[in-house]
Amino acid sequence: MGDSAYSFSLTTFSRTGKLLQIEYALNAVANGRTSLGICTEDGVVIATDKKLASPLVDIDKVSKVEMITDSTGFVFSGVGPDYRVLVRKARKSSQAYKRHYGETQPVSQLVKQTASVMQEYTQSGGVRPFGVSLLVAGVDGDGKTRLYQVDPSGAYFGWKATAIGKNYINAKNFLEKRYQDDMELEDAIHTALLTLREGFEGEMNSHNIEVGVVRNGKFEVLTPAQIQDYLDEAN
Amino acid sequence: MDTVFGIQFKGGVVLAADQSNARSILVYQNNLDKVTKLSSHSAMGVSGPNADMVNFTEYIAKNLALYELANDGTKLSTKAQANFCRNELAVALRKGPYQVNLLLGGYDEKDDAGSLYFLDYLAALQKVPYGSQGYASNFCLSIMDKEYREGLTEADALLIIEHCIKEIATRFLINQPNFMIKIIDKDGVRVHSFGGDPADT
Repeated sequence: MGDSAYSFSLTTFSRTGKLLQIEYALNAVANGRTSLGICTEDGVVIATDKKLASPLVDIDKVSKVEMITDSTGFVFSGVGPDYRVLVRKARKSSQAYKRHYGETQPVSQLVKQTASVMQEYTQSGGVRPFGVSLLVAGVDGDGKTRLYQVDPSGAYFGWKATAIGKNYINAKNFLEKRYQDDMELEDAIHTALLTLREGFEGEMNSHNIEVGVVRNGKFEVLTPAQIQDYLDEAN
Repeated sequence: MDTVFGIQFKGGVVLAADQSNARSILVYQNNLDKVTKLSSHSAMGVSGPNADMVNFTEYIAKNLALYELANDGTKLSTKAQANFCRNELAVALRKGPYQVNLLLGGYDEKDDAGSLYFLDYLAALQKVPYGSQGYASNFCLSIMDKEYREGLTEADALLIIEHCIKEIATRFLINQPNFMIKIIDKDGVRVHSFGGDPADT
């Protein structure tokens, strides 16, 4: 109704106290391919559906799970090109941290930094918010594993397990039922794959999903062969 | 002219510095504290002009406090603090250099160990088991070379410090009657002894 008159200007609140551009950015995220993450005491797993428009696309060259520091990684749901900008900025800022302190930036600080960038784009002229929500897996300053979600508004949340993108409600319900506080990383990887398969359109295989794992303080993207091993175990 | 030296021992670090504040032929004071506390478990022995000494240490100490405030109480390791200092020195070097030579010592709970870092005004950084800045080096380094061993106790380390101070009192041209000695271990930064009380105005 009257709200729509405020929907085009990012930097103006609507009468009901909303910033509609951010709501619309969240819609873009909800239309994106599903991503999820599970955090356990001995590691973190993040995964995403990599389904693409045509079988002619060289899918192995598409990279959605990205390493930011040697102990943190990102995955996203939403607009891919916006994601790449955030990945670049996060990598650069964590190297700047390394230059200053000689150590790897803890994940909570990386998240705050990235969230701060995303917030800037909700309060500046001539820009629009990033159309992505991020899932960040990593190791914090106290040595513990963490999973964070960062939204287009710049809000961030720590999670034990969560899902974003298409079908996130079903995925989250599935995770809620299966999550246990004393879960181990291997269980979590299996659960993550099962959850992804629940909402998958068509057949899920080791090439049309991507999985990233924080294990022993190091982040790595699993190869299709490694994913296949886990899928075989599940069957 | 400042004498600054330090030794790592098992579970901590000892830092010592003279307490004179002088220029040309005049001694302003004999109770200056040149070993400044940086954070709960680290301190810096500084040599150089008084202005740079104070400006630099206050700047670093407050930035370290800001880090803890901004990051949920996360503490920076001694190595990270030393690297931060070095970066600040490096950036300032080509603009308006800080003419300070430092020995940064700290204790890290993670390793249950002390560590000592040598930094100079050209932004060099080196982790060392023992070190000294200034003319003191000529007298102290050979003593420490001879007497330092891995796994020293706090008492052993203090004996070596005493030995260095005696040597300086005997052989160094400039009279430095008072020394401030501080110890950093799992309980934090504490004053072991001083010649002149810095609180005396």
